[in-house]
Amino acid sequence: MYKIINKSVKRIDAYEKVTGKAKYGADLNLTHQLYAKTVYSKYPHAKILKIDTREAERLEGVVAVITAEDVPGNNIMFGKFPVLAKDEVKYIGDGVAAVAAESREIVEKAVRLIKVEYQKLAGVFNIKEAIDKNNGKVHSEIEDNLIEHSHHLLRSGDIEKGFKEADVILERTYQTQFVDQAYIEPEAIIVIPDPYKVGVEIHGSIQNPYSIRTNVATVLGLKINQVKVVQSTIGGSFGGKDESVMLMAARSAIIAMKTGRPVKMVLTREESFLESSKRHASKAKYKIGAKRDGTIVAVENNVYTQGGAYNNKAMFVNWRASIHAAGPYAIPNIKTDIYGVYTNTVYGGAYRGFSAPQIVFANESLIDELAEELNISPQEIRIKNCLKPGDELGTGQILLPGKIPAPLEKMINNVCKKTDFESKRKKYIKERESFNPIKKGIGLSCTFRGAGLGGEGIDSASATVTIDIDGSILIQSGLVEMGQGMRTAHAQIVAEVLGVSLDRITFCNTDTSVTLDCGPTVASRGTLAGGNAMLIAARKLLDRLHKRAAIMLDCNIIDLVSENNFIFNRLDKSRKLTFKEVVEECLKGQGLSLSAQGWYTPGPEKLSSETGRGNAYPTYSYGASVIELNVDTQTGKINVEKIVAGYEIGRAINPQIVKGQFYGGILQGLGYALIEEVRNKDGYLETKNYDDFLIPSSFDMPEMEVTIYESDDPVGPFRAKSVGELGIELMAPAVANALYNATGKRIRELPLNLERVLLGKTLRK
Amino acid sequence: MQNFNFIRPDNLEEACDLLVRYKDRAKLITGGTDLIIALREEKLPNCLEIIIDISNLKELNYIKEEGKYIRIGSGVRHAEIANNKLIKKYAPVLSMASSVVGSPQIRNKGTIAGNIITASPAADTIPALIVLDSILVIRKGKEKRKMFLKDVFEGPNKVNLKSDEIVCEIYFEKLPLGAKSNFIKLARRNAVDKSRMNIAVVAQQNKNKEITNIRISVGSLTPIPERFKDAEDLLLGKLPTQDLIQKAGKKIAEEMINKSGYRWSTEYKEPVVKSLIDRVLNGIVEVE
Repeated sequence: MYKIINKSVKRIDAYEKVTGKAKYGADLNLTHQLYAKTVYSKYPHAKILKIDTREAERLEGVVAVITAEDVPGNNIMFGKFPVLAKDEVKYIGDGVAAVAAESREIVEKAVRLIKVEYQKLAGVFNIKEAIDKNNGKVHSEIEDNLIEHSHHLLRSGDIEKGFKEADVILERTYQTQFVDQAYIEPEAIIVIPDPYKVGVEIHGSIQNPYSIRTNVATVLGLKINQVKVVQSTIGGSFGGKDESVMLMAARSAIIAMKTGRPVKMVLTREESFLESSKRHASKAKYKIGAKRDGTIVAVENNVYTQGGAYNNKAMFVNWRASIHAAGPYAIPNIKTDIYGVYTNTVYGGAYRGFSAPQIVFANESLIDELAEELNISPQEIRIKNCLKPGDELGTGQILLPGKIPAPLEKMINNVCKKTDFESKRKKYIKERESFNPIKKGIGLSCTFRGAGLGGEGIDSASATVTIDIDGSILIQSGLVEMGQGMRTAHAQIVAEVLGVSLDRITFCNTDTSVTLDCGPTVASRGTLAGGNAMLIAARKLLDRLHKRAAIMLDCNIIDLVSENNFIFNRLDKSRKLTFKEVVEECLKGQGLSLSAQGWYTPGPEKLSSETGRGNAYPTYSYGASVIELNVDTQTGKINVEKIVAGYEIGRAINPQIVKGQFYGGILQGLGYALIEEVRNKDGYLETKNYDDFLIPSSFDMPEMEVTIYESDDPVGPFRAKSVGELGIELMAPAVANALYNATGKRIRELPLNLERVLLGKTLRK
Repeated sequence: MQNFNFIRPDNLEEACDLLVRYKDRAKLITGGTDLIIALREEKLPNCLEIIIDISNLKELNYIKEEGKYIRIGSGVRHAEIANNKLIKKYAPVLSMASSVVGSPQIRNKGTIAGNIITASPAADTIPALIVLDSILVIRKGKEKRKMFLKDVFEGPNKVNLKSDEIVCEIYFEKLPLGAKSNFIKLARRNAVDKSRMNIAVVAQQNKNKEITNIRISVGSLTPIPERFKDAEDLLLGKLPTQDLIQKAGKKIAEEMINKSGYRWSTEYKEPVVKSLIDRVLNGIVEVE
């Protein structure tokens, strides 16, 4: 029985957050700080002819104005992002200059005094235009607008043979929109010139401190250890606080080095919408072949993701997509191709789900369309084809009795049973003809999700655990807390291993000069990889403590147990020491170190570049959901009434936090399905703030019933695997499927807003 | 953010004097739910010198019954109107409209006059006030004048008030006994959202079920808020049938296209307004 994990303990950072003691990036202020602001492009695509900064420089209180000319090192960062555009602006959010002044008011005035002469250029603004060779290029060196390394494929079986065996073949195209992560806290950065050596210290709302460090060092022409990045408390990120804060940090660091003064840059909401990454828009062509009895024999798909002007993530997003594009089904013949394209628009990046919301919408809509075509139920077609023990994934990985569990059949049946899915579905089809314009609908979706980075990159994480003389324990991770509860999960793991109460544990924010590089906090790997590193570090310390305690208690080390802040002999429980007594003896009496590092990797994933097959991920998580909704067929308004969902996640370190992640993910997924859309018109951003970019309110939240399925999947710490992203991806297809059930109308494009539901298309201003 | 001086007068007279003195160099603030945004976006005239805060003036903060009239001080907040017993009894349509403005925060700050002066085509309280045939009491210095609410609008976000004038009161006749009213709002999400469309109606039938009183106003449809007289005339004095109600909806859709032209949103709004008129009238009218 566990003492600390698998329990809904209080978050260890709750006190600081609830009482307002935790400082967010914008809360930090330093004496003599400058306020910096970026001058953004006027056009989605244009040549820069001339930048005249003189008038701004003459304004009293302006301390520095920088352009691309002032970048001391490399102006181009990872993903081709220029710190400041030099000869050409490629999208409406490109920075052309940055200004620093004594006050926010002055800098706001100064940015308007920068005169930039442009020569407008034609642009490509959507996937269709990007693919069409006659529409021009976003990057002159790339002929076909195809993002480098963004083509990922999966080849399994023989696709031609597969379609020959099929009795029914469907071909469908699905499209999704750009959306913003919509975190409550806009981006904030403060850069302090290092007082002791050449270098800078950067604080702010930073999701991935190590990549920011590397990029800023390159920009400044410094070594990476001359740049120190400290993560402030983050008010939501969902993948988004990465490229935008990298650009802000680079610009502010240049000014800080130039002026010798601290530089603060905080984005307005409008600037955040303009400059931050979005979930890639996508266009997915699918072809599916099945036997008359519903057995799927072949899936072929061709997916384009819209990467915008620069690219930080398409190659990673698309790889994940390539593994999952055929869905959680045992399909003998698969041919998948995913491509990313450049456009002169806002750019795609990481956003919770990382390709899954697009792919799962397409694939789970398609499965329902196939079921309809074959006249079998959505539940039956999924049960027939879903991954089961012994099945082989498209990647060639074998499920149980191999290492990977396959609980989907049970989960699908459970959500259907709980909601009376089949009888309601039939009833609602009958009611389509009724007089009442408000129709009810019920929809099903299921998914699987590779845990961690998998073959996307090197998935390794470190942790440092340090016990102090008072028996308190400091945990340090290079993975960041951004609201998801990772820190609490890490603390629970360490407390469980060491047999101490949770109140002994404190944390430190990620600081690149102190914590070890763990890679980015993405891919739902914070607990899976980071938690395992914590577990290993804690076990090392436990071993040291027990070695000492065995001598102190004069017993065999294997008989020692740590529990409730005591270390005792399990054969004679009266033979015991307090945790603190042993710590004191180790540190003071013996001069032992009670600081240990843990390092973990699920192992290198081996993949074939010709087929995409191999060990894509160490394991997978699963989800299934049923949505019940009503739709006003006279206005197109959808009201989601109830969601019943189940998720298999190995082990819940903290069940309440896990459920919180699912509730949040579900609501975010509904926003994606129903109302959210970052709209571009000819490259200009139309959705500039929350009055246009709508996200769900608390009044839009349906009743939710979430079941956590635990398993003995051995990969993660105490068998915990991925949680963070899984909640979001089931919603859009389940809504589309329920809408079909209610109305008989199949809509293959998101969001399912008023106009699209009523008219089947979007209206544009 | 624009610069300004901030003055909080002690009484209405002082506020009126300030306005007369500063004219278009002054702006009034009560709730500030629109003004603060305009200030931040620097959309107020460059000549702006002072902001006059009239949010604490008791003279503008009342809801009272006076003979056949209900009088509302211009500084009354949406939340108060939504919950007021007099309004619920004598003008439920206004209570319904006020209760769906923005969010609880906006309803606690925003005022009825502010909603009028901003003159957004999507404003929720305006169609309700229009079907109540509301009258504004406007003051300039010590002079007072009255004006029908419908006449104050010049176009989207435009009213024909002088910069030295202040709206002090909105009043209307209580709805007659037996009159029914209804309000519906259509928005993309269930809270904190602009209306895509909103409809306010008042209807009364005699004992033969003939319509003796009908007033219809629809927000977000036409540049200037108004009653849809053609549709009203179609219904007035008649025994309502489903067919007649549908014809009224059609008339309103036609009027929308006549007045607003065929816009990007017309393809959506045309069928929707027909359906919603049908729905809102069926909610209060006994149909043959």
